[in-house]
Amino acid sequence: MPLDAQHKKSYAQFILPSILAAAAVYFIVLAKGAIFPFVLSAALAYILNPLISYFEVRGIKRAYAVAGFYLVIGVVLSLGVYLLFHLLSYDLKSLQQEWPTYAERLQVYFTNLNKKLVSNFPFLASVGLEQKLQHLLEMVPQLLLSLLPALSLLFIVPFITFFMLIGGSSLIDYLIDHLPSRYSELILHVASRIDGSLGNYLRGILTEAFVIFLIAFTGLVLLDLNYAAVIAVIIGFSSLIPYLGAIVGAVLSSIVAYLQFGAILPIIKILAFFTGIRFFDDWFLQPYIMKKAVDLNPAVILLALMAGAEIGGIWGIVFSIPVTCILKELLQIAVELQETEFRWKPKPEPTRISIPYT
Amino acid sequence: MGFLSVFNRIYDEEILGKLDFLKNIGLFEGIKKGQLIHVLESLQERTYLKGETIFAQGDIGRALFIVYSGKVNLSRLDTGGQKGELIAEVNPGEFFGEMALLEEMPRTASAHAAEDTKVFMLFKIKLDSLLYSRPRVGVVIATHLARILSARLRAGLEKPAAN
Repeated sequence: MPLDAQHKKSYAQFILPSILAAAAVYFIVLAKGAIFPFVLSAALAYILNPLISYFEVRGIKRAYAVAGFYLVIGVVLSLGVYLLFHLLSYDLKSLQQEWPTYAERLQVYFTNLNKKLVSNFPFLASVGLEQKLQHLLEMVPQLLLSLLPALSLLFIVPFITFFMLIGGSSLIDYLIDHLPSRYSELILHVASRIDGSLGNYLRGILTEAFVIFLIAFTGLVLLDLNYAAVIAVIIGFSSLIPYLGAIVGAVLSSIVAYLQFGAILPIIKILAFFTGIRFFDDWFLQPYIMKKAVDLNPAVILLALMAGAEIGGIWGIVFSIPVTCILKELLQIAVELQETEFRWKPKPEPTRISIPYT
Repeated sequence: MGFLSVFNRIYDEEILGKLDFLKNIGLFEGIKKGQLIHVLESLQERTYLKGETIFAQGDIGRALFIVYSGKVNLSRLDTGGQKGELIAEVNPGEFFGEMALLEEMPRTASAHAAEDTKVFMLFKIKLDSLLYSRPRVGVVIATHLARILSARLRAGLEKPAAN
């Protein structure tokens, strides 16, 4: 074949994939609101997939494994949600009864604080701290209402995840079989590296959040703090974002302890408890649970969280760390490939032994 | 009877077949069937069509290949780097490319699918993970690897003497 024709053929093979990729990107941009539940579902399916694979390699057909899992998780979740709401409703009812007293105390506290501050620093009067606080309190119900549409995700995401889990493996098998044959080893190597570190991170952080929720709940009940269930649930969810769980827990519990006991000693106890949780997390949980996950520097985590918030708000924060895991692994692989495939470094030397075979 | 038919409907015969297949692979000899599940979990399947290149001589090796069905031809370029000489045919139940599990070094031969071929791939990273999380399984594989390499070395030394 002449060289020109070969060149034409090599370019032509990229036309269809390029058009398809451009169309996919255009579609995603146009329908990004509709795509979002699918992204969440894909992430959930990815996290749950090892559990389904566990049964699959033990001989259970995938569809039955998924159906069985949904059945069991449905029963467990219903029971868990019932118990949680039972506890929460008790907490919420007492909060409803006591809220006016708490609100009054909070307002008195802030008014006094404001008076003191203004008398010491007169320029603060122009800032209008009191009006700003009032505005903030008025915003709270609006903020809570704005969260309601997100509740629909609770029904849509498990539904989509179900079908992704059933059909997921066949789609992945199809893609694997259609990779360029000579490079499939390299591509699968990269994919298994990313899968290893990202999967370990996600499963690790979910386990960590659950353990922290359990410890916080037990500790707060023992410390006889009101709304222990509500606070523990908030701590559990905020633990999905590194470092946030213990901080949120300490701040929230201290406010509740101040309102409940009106003394300094319970607040010190609570702060000591959450410092303990932080150290337990750093010294025991993370080294054990996250030992095989990507090791991210705290500064990188902070940068990722801030960039995530800037790009995608609250969901940007949730996805920032997994995306950073992928980027870090890709960067490492890219550097390794430069060394091995493109010979940036001298050719790797095989292991040599001077003593002959005997 | 009813229970059996439900069981048969839920149970995947293909998986049982794959486990039986792995049991007869020399590299996994001595691993109990229950533990072979962990090996199966670590393997990646792929089908190559007749004539497709699995890897080329000089590519960096990262996985061991076990032929499940079909046939693979291994060939090596002559000293001039021009003509490929067939050095082996790999049939179902046999494996090749095991050096990649020890060192990420360039392949010393090329592999092509001689017919439509299904292979299992064991990546170095997965073997490392097996050694870490399932040491009993990992050690058996590592021991077999050492034996295979020793046999290769012995064969290499005995060949000139025989000539």
